Amino acid sequence: MEAVVTAVFEVLNFGAIMVLVVLGLGVIAGMMGIFNFAHGEFVLLGAYTVYLFHTWTLPIWLGMLAAPAVVAAVAVVLERLVIRRFYAAPVIAMLGTYALGLAIRESVRGLIGGLYRAVPEPLPGSFDIGAIHIAKWRLAIVVITVLVMVGSYLLLTRTGFGLRVRAALENPSLARASGISTNRIYAATFAFGAALAGLAGALVVPVFSLSADLGIRFLIQGFLAVMLGGVGSFEGSVIGAGVIGIMSAALPWAVAPVLADVLVFVIAVVLVRIWPRGLTAGRTV
Amino acid sequence: MTRRSFLGSAAWMSGAIAAGAQSWTIRPAWGAASGPIKVGIATDLTGAIGYAGNANANIAKLAMKEINAKGGILGRPIELYIEDTASAEATAVANVRKLIQRDKVDVVFGGITSSMRNAIKDVIVTRGRTLYIYPQLYEGKECTPYIFCTGPTPAQQCDEFIPWLMKNGGKRFALPSANYVWPHVLNQYARKVIEGNGGEVIFEEYYPLDQVEYSATVNKIMTNKVDVVFNTVIPPGVGPFFKQLYEAGFTKRGGRLSCVYYDENTLNINAPHEIEGLASCLDYFRAVTKDEPGSARIQAEYDKQFPGNIVFAAGSAATGMYRGLRLWEAAVKEARSVDRDAVAKALDHAKISEGPGGPAEMVPGKRHCKMRMYTAVAKQGTYDIVARSKGLVDPKEC
Repeated sequence: MEAVVTAVFEVLNFGAIMVLVVLGLGVIAGMMGIFNFAHGEFVLLGAYTVYLFHTWTLPIWLGMLAAPAVVAAVAVVLERLVIRRFYAAPVIAMLGTYALGLAIRESVRGLIGGLYRAVPEPLPGSFDIGAIHIAKWRLAIVVITVLVMVGSYLLLTRTGFGLRVRAALENPSLARASGISTNRIYAATFAFGAALAGLAGALVVPVFSLSADLGIRFLIQGFLAVMLGGVGSFEGSVIGAGVIGIMSAALPWAVAPVLADVLVFVIAVVLVRIWPRGLTAGRTV
Repeated sequence: MTRRSFLGSAAWMSGAIAAGAQSWTIRPAWGAASGPIKVGIATDLTGAIGYAGNANANIAKLAMKEINAKGGILGRPIELYIEDTASAEATAVANVRKLIQRDKVDVVFGGITSSMRNAIKDVIVTRGRTLYIYPQLYEGKECTPYIFCTGPTPAQQCDEFIPWLMKNGGKRFALPSANYVWPHVLNQYARKVIEGNGGEVIFEEYYPLDQVEYSATVNKIMTNKVDVVFNTVIPPGVGPFFKQLYEAGFTKRGGRLSCVYYDENTLNINAPHEIEGLASCLDYFRAVTKDEPGSARIQAEYDKQFPGNIVFAAGSAATGMYRGLRLWEAAVKEARSVDRDAVAKALDHAKISEGPGGPAEMVPGKRHCKMRMYTAVAKQGTYDIVARSKGLVDPKEC
């Protein structure tokens, strides 16, 4: 019984982490049609911001609040300088973002000496119920993920900004003709996606420790999640990430871990084969 | 881009490539009529294990300075040729070839991972006809002629350590491991020692190298009442794994965490309280300097010359690098030549009285190195030495 509760919580927790990390990737891929290969490094930058606050002996939670803003600011600069030149050529954009990611990753590697650095969680300790131990910070991650998910959904579906974003996505020329600055909208969307990545990095760094390869670890699974869910929809990336995250955490309970790793990909590929446009194709914002 | 500027940058690029953007030559301060002795260092200066490679290059420079300050070897100074193996085997092979073909070095030191050693050894030893000294702790079984290993082997890391773990932990072992060659081979040996001493292996399980979620493993450890976790999971997985173990209450319950590659670098992966009591067994810890004057001198010299992020630690092959350089120096002096066969013959029984962790000597005919071994326990973010080998421990290889 205790094992079941623990298992369910841990699996849920990893699912939430996956959703958090993939959310920004999904927003940028879905709204702008760009697969951002620097997404992992935006996650890393968020984590690094928290680490900086920790080394300056400022409160960790302050770093977590600052991280999305810092990463969004970096993203705006990169969008203005580099990304916006590639909107017409998505494949080149992929290479461009890959190069940006590489530059960010290796810079951070230099800054932290290529080592792993522990960052404490703002909420240490755990809730202990008998033999069940639920770490407070892991629970907080699940709660924050749900809040961020709902918040982003409302932002995209219920606000004027969301409406303009979707308009710019559906029909850029009509949007421009209607007086919407698609240029500015794209910059804002890119910054928003990056802010989500920064937040994800900030929240997960106490769990995984800071290292230059923190973000790249999630990149492949992240793309798989976006494809599985269906490119071009917000719910798609959430569901895709949830499925991938839960599978990668749950399968090792049932089969040999080395096999589980492969199985996640096999199952995902089969699902994409059955629903080529993703699990949520045609049924979403 | 104009045609002219393209040609200009292309010319610059090809110039950079020809000179070797990843090569460094450290020249001695003085010369000799017969020229310097050329020492090749092939190590991972960049990439995932760049921190380790830079420590190797640093300690090699330090050893070179020491040797040259005492008049060099056979009246000749030594000159270092450093090549980046870049944590990538394909790049490494090309760069090591430069050491052999362009620089014509007399000996090559380096490689950190076993896959790197396997990638470059043929270039050095078989086709290059050069002596190769491999400095890292590893799974053993490297018995190719002209390759000498100066880091600890499974026997050196297990023979005294596992009985200590049984006394200070318990008899029920779990072997969670990353799925590559070192853990597989090390575990075979560890299992033999565990069972030979009346212990029991509850499970031995392998994980993908980038797995970061270990709840299933932690649950197995907790429900099976494992006493000792003998870990060979590596970064990035090891941090989250230890954290989840801590959160599940493994150490609070009296469980003993152990990991034989854990040194001063890896201590930072987790918060100190999460790995309090973690035991490791290596040829050197910084704590050894308290009562080992030779180690203290090397450590102090290193800290003076290379302050900053890149520390001198056993898990990154830096101790084996120093030991190897001094053993090779002794061998060249005895052989009175840098000829490969003559040096190999002398290196076969070379000894040094001072090195990181203490004296060391090669085991004749085995091309592996006897050395002192230390067991240390993590205490609030540093190591305490809790046991040390009586004399030099036999590598039991080849």
